[in-house]
Amino acid sequence: MIRFELVSKRYPSGHEALSEITFEVGDGEMAFVTGHSGAGKSTLLKLIALLERPSRGQISVNGRSLQQVNRRGIPALRRGIGMVFQDHRLLLDRSVIDNVALPLVIAGAPRDETAKRARAALDKVGLLARENALPLSLSAGEQQRVGIARALVSKPPVLIADEPTGNLDPQLSAEIMGLFDQFQQVGTTVLVASHDLPLIKRMGKRVLVLDHGRLIDDFRPAAA
Amino acid sequence: MNRRIEKNRLKPPATVPAPAAVVKRPRWNARAWREQHASSCRESLGRLAARPAASALTLTVLSLALTLPLLFWLLLDNVRALSGSVDDARAVSAFLKPDLDATAIEAEARRLRERPDVAGVEVKTPEQGLDEFRSRSGFADALAVLHYNPLPAVLVVALRASAGEAAPALVEELRRDPAVDLVQYDAQWRQRLNAIVATVARGAAVVAALLALAALLVIGNTVRLDIQGRRDEIGVMQLLGASDGFVRRPFLYTGFWYGVLAGVMALILIGLVEWALSAPLARLVASYDRQFDVHGVSSAVMLAVLAASAALGWLGAWLAASRHIASGQPQ
Repeated sequence: MIRFELVSKRYPSGHEALSEITFEVGDGEMAFVTGHSGAGKSTLLKLIALLERPSRGQISVNGRSLQQVNRRGIPALRRGIGMVFQDHRLLLDRSVIDNVALPLVIAGAPRDETAKRARAALDKVGLLARENALPLSLSAGEQQRVGIARALVSKPPVLIADEPTGNLDPQLSAEIMGLFDQFQQVGTTVLVASHDLPLIKRMGKRVLVLDHGRLIDDFRPAAA
Repeated sequence: MNRRIEKNRLKPPATVPAPAAVVKRPRWNARAWREQHASSCRESLGRLAARPAASALTLTVLSLALTLPLLFWLLLDNVRALSGSVDDARAVSAFLKPDLDATAIEAEARRLRERPDVAGVEVKTPEQGLDEFRSRSGFADALAVLHYNPLPAVLVVALRASAGEAAPALVEELRRDPAVDLVQYDAQWRQRLNAIVATVARGAAVVAALLALAALLVIGNTVRLDIQGRRDEIGVMQLLGASDGFVRRPFLYTGFWYGVLAGVMALILIGLVEWALSAPLARLVASYDRQFDVHGVSSAVMLAVLAASAALGWLGAWLAASRHIASGQPQ
């Protein structure tokens, strides 16, 4: 589902963020990417959604080689990837339900269908009661759950999350991770970048460890 | 853990969505497309209304840029209509000596008709001339006081179309003819008038083009600022897979509304100018016995102005949007 082959990324400043990364995350698998800050976790996720282009190497997502996706093809690629950010990136002047519905609107779904599916997604993260609230009136954990509802409303086959629990206390973090776990159980491929090692350990999933841009460990729990 | 979060506890896994493997990509949907355009159209107007002072300033500048060329055009259109009502001036009027009798006049007319460069000769007797003068000059009352007809006979000589020489040979010959008192040849001043009108028209076109360019830049710059103000929002939409067209759409409608509203304001301004000039113009026309008429902007022209200004707004927004939205995506 997500495959990296000898991928390197060097920024114009000369900083080599990733060096010859090779791994594959299978269909419906859930994996964590971890490492110290600056290890290249965010860069790795950015390459998947084509927020950046790799300097060398091959990446394929959803069976498509990203090399063949040109500028005009990027929007369609991103519509097939749900993205969750540490700072959730909600539109603050729109209600919760409008934020969640945005991917459907962008994909060109008619309004009645959009509203129905956005409510269903909000219900799944337990925030249906707050559908008309503005994001700033929600707590940090609730905002992140709105972000997750938005990432999943169009049922993308791939979900990537960059430090989704970075600003949350341990209990809220566990709730958020539990959500990702649920989505993996129904077949979504999930890749989460996080440096919260105790939490990752508790989840019992595959872990990719980055260090200074190199993949130094690919740990699979025995039970999986 | 506060109570609100407690209340919003996650649902059990039983409610998770259908497997992602059966995802269907939404296809292009005409209804959704219409809905999105309608909502972009509404939202853009709402955004203009949300900043009334800034929008009003922009609209005033735009409407003035549209009003000025429109006023020029209106003036020219009226002058053209006026000069068109002057008889075709490839004609020479020869006022004969007043002592000539009817046979001498006929003989003179016959002699002229035989010339190769003459298309026809119309004889206007003094009586006909007096009638025409009465009906057209507004001096009917004064003429009634006269005991005799002071007007001479006139030969109106129509020239064959020839090269546009300033004064044909015939004019010179007639001037030397002993039977002719006075020769009037209108073509020269008419050519000059036409040249003046053409020059002013060209000047007006140049000014209109420059002002249209200025309007384009004003709209482009306004939309550019709008885009900068909403950069974060645009970034989020691009992350969620919005195409350039989707991101551009609301800004195009913003430009469209600027164009339409500026067009309406320009037409209102023209209406005010027409109203301010109507009373003195009516007096002027009356003093000429209504031999000419002054017209305002017709409804067809109004529609054309609105269409043109809407197109101008759309184009200005499109230029700004395609320049400033494209950045921020890897190639």
